[in-house]
Amino acid sequence: MITGKGITKTFRQRGGMLGGREVKALRGVDFTIEKGGAVSFIGESGCGKTTLGRILAGLESYDSGEIVIDGVPMSSLRQKSRQPHFRRIQLIHQDPYSALNPARTIHQALDAPLSLRAKQTGRSRAWMEERAEELLSLVGLDPGYVLPRYPHQLSGGMRQRVVIARALTVDPDMLVADEATSMIDVSLRLGILALLKDLRDRLGVSVLFITHDVATARYIGLDGELYVIYRGQVVERGPVETVIADPVHPYTQSLLSAIPVLHGLEVPGEERVVPTEAVDPSQQDAACLFAARCPFRTERCVSELPVLGHDGGTLQEHACFHPQRRSVVATPAVQL
Amino acid sequence: MSVTSDKRAPGVRISDLSVVYRTPAGELPAVRGIDLELVPGTITGVVGESGSGKSTLALSLLNAVQPPGRISAGSVEIDGLGDVVALGGDDLRRARGRHVGYVFQAAQSSLNPLKTVGKQLLDLGRSHDVEDLPGLVKEARSLLDRMGMDGARVLDSHQHELSGGMRQRVGIMLALVLNAHLVVLDEPTTALDMITQATILRIIREVHEERGLTTLVITHDLGVVAEVADRLAVMYGGRVVEQGPTREVLGDPRHPYTRGLLQAIPRLVGDIDEARALPGRPPTLGTIPADGCVFRERCAVRMDVCETGEPPVLTQGPRIVACHAADMGPEAVTEPAKERQTVTAGVGDTPTTGEEQA
Repeated sequence: MITGKGITKTFRQRGGMLGGREVKALRGVDFTIEKGGAVSFIGESGCGKTTLGRILAGLESYDSGEIVIDGVPMSSLRQKSRQPHFRRIQLIHQDPYSALNPARTIHQALDAPLSLRAKQTGRSRAWMEERAEELLSLVGLDPGYVLPRYPHQLSGGMRQRVVIARALTVDPDMLVADEATSMIDVSLRLGILALLKDLRDRLGVSVLFITHDVATARYIGLDGELYVIYRGQVVERGPVETVIADPVHPYTQSLLSAIPVLHGLEVPGEERVVPTEAVDPSQQDAACLFAARCPFRTERCVSELPVLGHDGGTLQEHACFHPQRRSVVATPAVQL
Repeated sequence: MSVTSDKRAPGVRISDLSVVYRTPAGELPAVRGIDLELVPGTITGVVGESGSGKSTLALSLLNAVQPPGRISAGSVEIDGLGDVVALGGDDLRRARGRHVGYVFQAAQSSLNPLKTVGKQLLDLGRSHDVEDLPGLVKEARSLLDRMGMDGARVLDSHQHELSGGMRQRVGIMLALVLNAHLVVLDEPTTALDMITQATILRIIREVHEERGLTTLVITHDLGVVAEVADRLAVMYGGRVVEQGPTREVLGDPRHPYTRGLLQAIPRLVGDIDEARALPGRPPTLGTIPADGCVFRERCAVRMDVCETGEPPVLTQGPRIVACHAADMGPEAVTEPAKERQTVTAGVGDTPTTGEEQA
């Protein structure tokens, strides 16, 4: 189990006569990811979801807060001894084109992490070969075809599968998939999602799915949790189906309302929420971060900061003074 | 359908268009024998995966296919302009921008990072011999204001000062400011956030209607087409495999590829196991089958005839499907396409579409 408590991260832009601007990427985020569980972070670009994924993969530092991996608080360890813990969390990038070295065959790409693994566990060269083939089969590729090839000889979907196989070489506890399907062709996307779901079932790997596409988050696991993040703050969180079917935060409702409706196949939700345009983020902190764009804001929203809770008796947690269910999601009109 | 009274919206008739790319393996067709009509005043969406030929098709509208590619056959007739395939030199240069506006994919990389938007606007005006430059700036400002931005501020900005959604709107402004009434938008919302995407799609729709345009939207995202387009054309392996009114095609897809694509989209409600991946992968330029149906390798209803026989082009009312297995009912008109030559495809081949507009 991996938990985070009050994670904050501020990026300081260099330059400028007055020392540059500060961007608060994360403003005290709490999360819990169970072993074998599925958690999805959704939100727009710049909301901090990618930063959180990078922190978990050990690629980014955080300013304050605590991450506990299987009961071990990371703050109790020195930088060097944290690494083996973070290694159990592997990141899958958005872009499988740049995640693989174009000058190396897939065989070579898998060889490097496998030889590290072999050294750690005292295994032989033959084990590495066997393991490479095993992992490629596991992700649905034909090892004989893929191993001798270079990344450019494979399709986007195949490359992403190779990246997943490579992440699995170190026997991770968790995969962080950051927009892992957004650059894959539509007809191949579902295959990657199904693979991630399958890995949860077969290997007990937990999946942290970072995306702006809510429907794909649902596909990774109906038993999972959805975190809606706005400007570095979790504004709504709960079971996937609850947050999608009964969202109470106006930002979640705006996100769901913005999903294109397949007219002819679907009927749009009746209470779609359209927020006003994004505004300058230099707004004071003692207010709801979404207030400036929110069509339902009141006096209280601009003078007080809402915190995550179950106000109004909702099943999910939310950070809104005026939680209200709205029917925003399109419903199927015909069955294919 | 939104046929406006504005007579300026031009119609476009693409007939038997083929585009080939020269490769070490010979000339390979990226687009083959396409017949497509853009009805004046409508938005047509062309949807396809990577390698389907949709961007090549869009470039053909400007006769802007770059070597090693070339238009090998067919014509693109634009009202008031004639066949753009036959245009060249200065005629072609003037037509681009004046008659056909093009909004490029990734507007951030099509803007000059060193110049303000206003300076680029003036460059555009000068290169098209616009005499009334202050008038052009005024028009640009009102277009930007119309799209919900502070026009004066945007014109004074460099591209890095604008967000993705704002850049996309600048791209739309630059495509419209010379008063083009045929607009091509290539992946207008890729790399934009959901909420920004919804805003841009609404703006495209509104500007289209207010200015009386004929619009072509190229995208990989069926959702985008579903939101904006009156008509939809689905491309696969360089062919249009199905076309018709958007709602009808989405509600009752008749080509196995369209059906498979729709089933492969995860949905927000209902049984998630209903979503099913399409087996196989899209063909690339080198692997598009030369004979028979381009989709057969991934098709669930494939038959022997699909291996060798060119799929018949079936027309019923406003709908057209190219499939051996499509059931268009008793009224369907079957027009078996003639055998096409393999590499320099589509020469002398004129499958009729008999398209009727509702």
